[in-house]
Amino acid sequence: MSAHHDVIAQASGRIGPIIASFAFGLVAMVLPWSGVALALRPDFLLLALLFWALHRPSRVGLGVGFGLGVIADLLDGVVLGQHALAYVVGVYAVQYVRLRLLQFDPLRQTAQMLPVFLLVQFIVVLVGWLAAGPPAGIGVFLPALSGTLLWYVVAQGLVYWYGKNALSRR
Amino acid sequence: MATPGQLTFARRLGPAARLAIWVLVGVALVVTDSRVGLMDVLKRGFSGVLAPIERVARAPFDFAAEIGGFLVRHRALQEANARLAQERATLYAEFYAKRDLEQENARLRELLGLARRPGRTAIAASILYQGQDWFARRVTIDRGAASGLVAGLPVVDAQGLVGQLTRVYSTTSEVTLVTHNDQLTPVMVERTGERALAAGGTQADRLELRFVPVHADVVPGDRLLTSGIDGVYPPGLPVARVLRVTRPQGSPYARIECVPLAGLARDRAVLVLRPSP
Repeated sequence: MSAHHDVIAQASGRIGPIIASFAFGLVAMVLPWSGVALALRPDFLLLALLFWALHRPSRVGLGVGFGLGVIADLLDGVVLGQHALAYVVGVYAVQYVRLRLLQFDPLRQTAQMLPVFLLVQFIVVLVGWLAAGPPAGIGVFLPALSGTLLWYVVAQGLVYWYGKNALSRR
Repeated sequence: MATPGQLTFARRLGPAARLAIWVLVGVALVVTDSRVGLMDVLKRGFSGVLAPIERVARAPFDFAAEIGGFLVRHRALQEANARLAQERATLYAEFYAKRDLEQENARLRELLGLARRPGRTAIAASILYQGQDWFARRVTIDRGAASGLVAGLPVVDAQGLVGQLTRVYSTTSEVTLVTHNDQLTPVMVERTGERALAAGGTQADRLELRFVPVHADVVPGDRLLTSGIDGVYPPGLPVARVLRVTRPQGSPYARIECVPLAGLARDRAVLVLRPSP
């Protein structure tokens, strides 16, 4: 691991990229999506949240997840607390398997993230179901799949950018 | 050995305990919101902050649309212009016929001593974004209380009824689409005049007629118009076309699937109908 990696891997790393990625996730949520793109749209905010929960656990934890979830609910939710609950559970799931996730190459890591994305989406759907009514169909899980796909792209990009040990740096 | 007054173990809560706390807070939030409607209050406050952000986020797309509009071919413009002129001619003919009928209708109503129906003015609005929630089929439009909108007004496009305003903020409002599960629209079959209730179907982008007796005269292809008996929608707005009629055995009601006529997924601009003062 080079010195550069150690710098960015410091637990108290820069906070700018974190905030920028969250801002991007929120803006992506209010863009005028429609049709197939809307159905396939991954939850960018969730992706950013889980990414930082994995790579910056001291900065981004359950509380941040909850706060972002509440904002997501205000932007795009049926009931307040819907995304907040799901994000908190998602962050916990990542924390739980964090050390293991960091040891895998992008493909294997992504394979382990799929259940996490599905779990988060399941909670979003479940809470919405309890609060409002039955969801539109099985298509509600598409964003979990596209989110997983995007995770692979991000993880692979990280390896290209920082070299082979990018994922296992702590 | 621990001495009195000294903590024997002073460490942070475990992750599971913290998860449990946050989940409890989340569940409390969900319950409070569904009981008190906290979301409406917060969203109203939030929309002031949100509206500029939305505008900035949309700016590149609007700009791209503008560029795309500028680069459109001359030939296509000419064609569109010719088509529009023709459409305008036919519409004018219909408009004069309608004005004639309106006057005649007014006179007849006067004769009968009936109250005149209030007119409507249309307010143009464009669709800001469609929320990705799979439970409430709604869109957000760029007009709000500042333009004189109130919750409950009908929203239409060129093809038919889009939905109804359900939440109105200062500069934006939320439209619940006719395909929403809980959105009931009183309709009548254009061919027979029979009245029924249309509601969002179990399938996305479908409507179904509820509580229509098995032997009712409804066939695929029938057009459904608003009946106007609710006082919310003006009568005669096209709502949907009947797609399939099945008559399940052992049920007193027919299963009638319809396709909404308005371009719910394609629309960029809509009209909000407001009763004219």
